[in-house]
This record gives sequence, C-alpha cells and structure tokens, in this order.
Amino acid sequence: MNPIPSSGERLPAVGMGTWRTFNVGGDQYLTDQRTEVLKTFFDLGGTLVDCSPMYGSAAEVMGEALDTLNAREKLFSASKIWTGDGDATRQQDRESRTKWGIERFDLQQVHNLVAWQQHLATLQQMKADGDVRYIGITTSHGRRHGDFARIMETEPLDFVQLTYNVLDREAEDRLLPLARERGIAVIVNRPFQGGRLFRRFQSNALPSWADEVGCRNWAEFFLKYILSHPAVTCAIPATTSVEHMKENMGALYGALPDEQQRRRMAAYVAGL
Amino acid sequence: MVTNWLSYSLSDFLMFGPEVFLRLFVRINQDIWPWQSVAVAMVIAIGALLVRGDAMARRGVLLLVAAAWLWSGAGFLVHYYGPINLPAIWFGWAFVLQGALLTVAALLWPWNAAKTRPACSRWSTGVGWIMLVGVSPLVAVAQTGNSLALSMFAITPDVTALGAVPCMLLFPRRVRWLFLSLPLIWSLFSVATLWTLGTWVLAVIPGATLVLAALACFINPRWAQNPD
Ligand SMILES: NC(=O)c1ccc[n+]([C@@H]2O[C@H](COP(=O)([O-])OP(=O)(O)OC[C@H]3O[C@@H](n4cnc5c(N)ncnc54)[C@H](OP(=O)(O)O)[C@@H]3O)[C@@H](O)[C@H]2O)c1
Repeated sequence: MNPIPSSGERLPAVGMGTWRTFNVGGDQYLTDQRTEVLKTFFDLGGTLVDCSPMYGSAAEVMGEALDTLNAREKLFSASKIWTGDGDATRQQDRESRTKWGIERFDLQQVHNLVAWQQHLATLQQMKADGDVRYIGITTSHGRRHGDFARIMETEPLDFVQLTYNVLDREAEDRLLPLARERGIAVIVNRPFQGGRLFRRFQSNALPSWADEVGCRNWAEFFLKYILSHPAVTCAIPATTSVEHMKENMGALYGALPDEQQRRRMAAYVAGL
Repeated sequence: MVTNWLSYSLSDFLMFGPEVFLRLFVRINQDIWPWQSVAVAMVIAIGALLVRGDAMARRGVLLLVAAAWLWSGAGFLVHYYGPINLPAIWFGWAFVLQGALLTVAALLWPWNAAKTRPACSRWSTGVGWIMLVGVSPLVAVAQTGNSLALSMFAITPDVTALGAVPCMLLFPRRVRWLFLSLPLIWSLFSVATLWTLGTWVLAVIPGATLVLAALACFINPRWAQNPD
C-alpha cells in the first residue's frame, strides 16, 4: 500500500488498466470472462481501476461487471476527460459516471493533455465542489514530457499518470523526481510496454538472483522494478486473463528491490 | 509536433484485441441463425443472374449486391463491430449509402442498351463468382479454427466488398469508380486493421479486394462499354 501524498489515503500498488482488454462491446461471453478478471483483482486486494472515454465500450463493460460483482465499495475509480471541447468536462464526467454506475469518480484525469487548460480548471472546481475526490493529468509513450513537467510545476495536482517500465525509463530523469518533490502521486501506465516486454523476454530465464528481489515470474520482475521506484504510487497493468491477473497481483507481496538491485534488473534486461 | 505523431504506431490506434474481433463472426452467426440461408440464396441468385446476363438480370445482380451492402453495413458494421471500433460505424453508414446509391443506379441505368456476352463468358463469370464468394467465408474459419466463424457474403463486410467488386464491371468504366471507391477505402482500412491485429490469414480477403478493385478501375470489358 502506498500513500497518495495529497491526502495520505493508501492505495494498493497494483491497479488495473482497461485499454483494449475491457473493450468487448456487447459480447456477453467476454463480458462475463472480464468480470472474472475483475473479481480476481478485487479478491487479491486490488482497488484502482483506470479507464477512459477513449476505450470504446470499456466503461460500459466495467459498469456491467461492477453490477454483477456488486463491488463498487471496493473500487477506487479512475477515469479521464478526453475531448477537444474544453467546455465538455462536466458532461463527459457525467457520461462516464453513468456508464460505471457511480456517483462520483475518485480520480478524474485529463487524458494526454487534450485541452488541458480548460479541463483542469473545471476539474479543480469540481474537486472544490466535492464532485470528484482527486484530479490529475496523463501522458504515455514518453510524449510531451516538457509540457507535462511544466504543468506539474505550476498546477495543483493529486496524480500524474505516465509510462514507465524497465525499458522506457525516460520518466526517471525529470518527471518522477518532480512528482516526489511536488507531492504528486504517480500512476504508471504501460508497465509491460503494452505486452511487448513478455513477447521479447518471456522465453528467457529469470536471473538466478530473481528470488533475492522477490520475483517468481517475469510479471513480478517487470512490476517490482516499477513499484520499487520511490516516486511510484501504483502501476496499472491490463490483462484479459485471470491467470495473468494472479501473476500481476503477486507483485503486491514479498520483497522489493533496493536501488542497487534495480540497476541490476535494468542491466539484466538490457543485456538479453 | 511532427515527432509527437511519429511516436505513434498503427497498434496505438487499435482499441481491441483479436479475440473480441474474431468473436464478432461467431456472434453474428449465432444471433441471425437461420437467416444465413437468405445470404446463400442471394449468392446463388447473383451467380445465376450473371449467367443469364440480360438487361433484367444485370439489374437484379446490382439490386442484390445493393442489399448485401445494406445488410452487412447496418448489421455487422454498425451493430456488432461499431461498439468496439468507432470507425466501423462510419464505414457502416457508408455501406448503407453505397447500397442506396447502387439501388438507384440499378433501377435507373439504361441496361437495355447493354451488349450481350457469349454464353461461355457468362457461365464462367457466374460460376467463377459463386466459387470466389463461396470459398471466401472459409478464410475466417481457417483463421479461428471455429466453423461458426464463417464470414458470409451480405453478412460480413470483407466478403461483401470482395463479391461486389467484380459485379461493378457491369457498369462502364466512367461510372464504375463511383462504386469502387468504398471497397477500396474499406479494404485498405481492413487490411491495416487485420495486419495490426496479427490475423494475417483474414487479411487475404481485403487484400484480394484491393487488387480486384484496382484492376476493375482500369479494365474495360467490351460488354461493359455500354451504352454510349
Ligand atoms: N495516456 C494514457 O492515459 C494511457 C496510455 C496507455 C495506457 N494507459 C492505461 O494503462 C493501462 C496499461 O497499459 P496497456 O494496457 O497499454 O499495457 P500493459 O499493461 O503494459 O500491457 C498489457 C498487455 O500485457 C499482457 N499481460 C498482462 N499481464 C500479463 C502477464 N502476467 N503475463 C503475460 N502477459 C501479460 C496483456 O495480455 P493478456 O491479456 O494476454 O494478459 C496485454 O496484452 C491501460 O490499460 C490504460 O488503462 C493510459
């Protein structure tokens, strides 16, 4: 569990993403299967689920899964505002809430900095009015880090969301230290580089010293590398599989690597 | 800004995985059963009308192809594919529009002035068309290993576009392009999607449509040079 710096509220360090994985349209069979994935997530101690209006039917599917599981009280809901219309913040928040079947989001983020000035101003007002608990901004793939840092320096934010994994480490240079300095919680997206890390490295053996860093499989190796960074609050891997969810949630438990071990982990992957 | 866009790959725009896409074929087949028989009847009727080849038959072929655009557009694209992929809804309505335009063209075009072709040419066209459209649905079965994933003409968009393109040769070249633009654009979109999804076997169908549609823009069979 890691604290959200702006409030001290604690969050489990592994959350769940929904990009691609929960966009299953009206497919009842797959909706039921994804509901099992979500159930496993909650059963193993997860709370934070991240979604966006950009993710097709994912928000509706999430709403249906939450209905089935009757699990809204376990949820830390994180959505995004993703529209070029700077006046549509509240409307999009309302639409997303209807799909999720919740009264307010725990976290509402400006997706990829789209029309961020207007959306962020409205989100700040919504937070003051009690219509959302926390607010933040997101980026991914290392895009617009300069703008992102400037916003982090000047705007009151509870959360930032960015890409960080054992291969994509640009955030270590500026954004992660800045988040610590400014007391902003960090959600890490694309922890497996969209699944590419498994495709590239899974056929290799884990290093002989993997158990020293608390890793029993590659999922834990990739996630613990991220979670052991002192600025990181939570990583949000996405999966369609109950088995993979169990592996990913394993990263919540056991030892975390220290600074020297983290360097060794990155060097090991770079050398494969 | 440019470097920002260069950091995107095709897969960044794909908001669903292969599993959910391939299940669309299974789902639509389960939901519409036994209406697949209408699609089969349409295929046989189009083949037979291509063999007959007179003015009324040509009109009939195009009206049936128009119905196929309408059905696959409003059904598969708007209703099934659209919820997981927004552009599919836009394409769905474009399919519906194409069906409507083709209906008008089929009814208004002066087919009586068309040249009749020799019997052997008509038979090879009709039988060849049925074989093409009859075999293509199996590609989705080969991709998924599931016989319920049959992707039929008039029900699914790729096979509909593939079957529609040769029928457009009934029009003279100067108007044909009007009805080839959509299959070309759709097939480009579909090849890119299927390639990114890693469902390469399925990409054969829109790939073949692209080749046929490009050819159809240039070739000009004598019997289609009507009426001037
Ligand atoms: N700008 C933004 O705001 C932004 C951008 C990108 C992402 N995000 C958020 O971040 C979340 C995570 O990023 P992502 O979904 O792009 O990528 P990711 O979580 O890095 O990777 C997801 C892929 O990893 C595979 N996977 C997960 N656990 C696995 C395991 N234990 N073993 C093997 N494979 C495994 C999944 O396949 P299986 O289904 O087979 O498990 C899936 O294909 C997104 O879902 C989204 O919520 C936000």
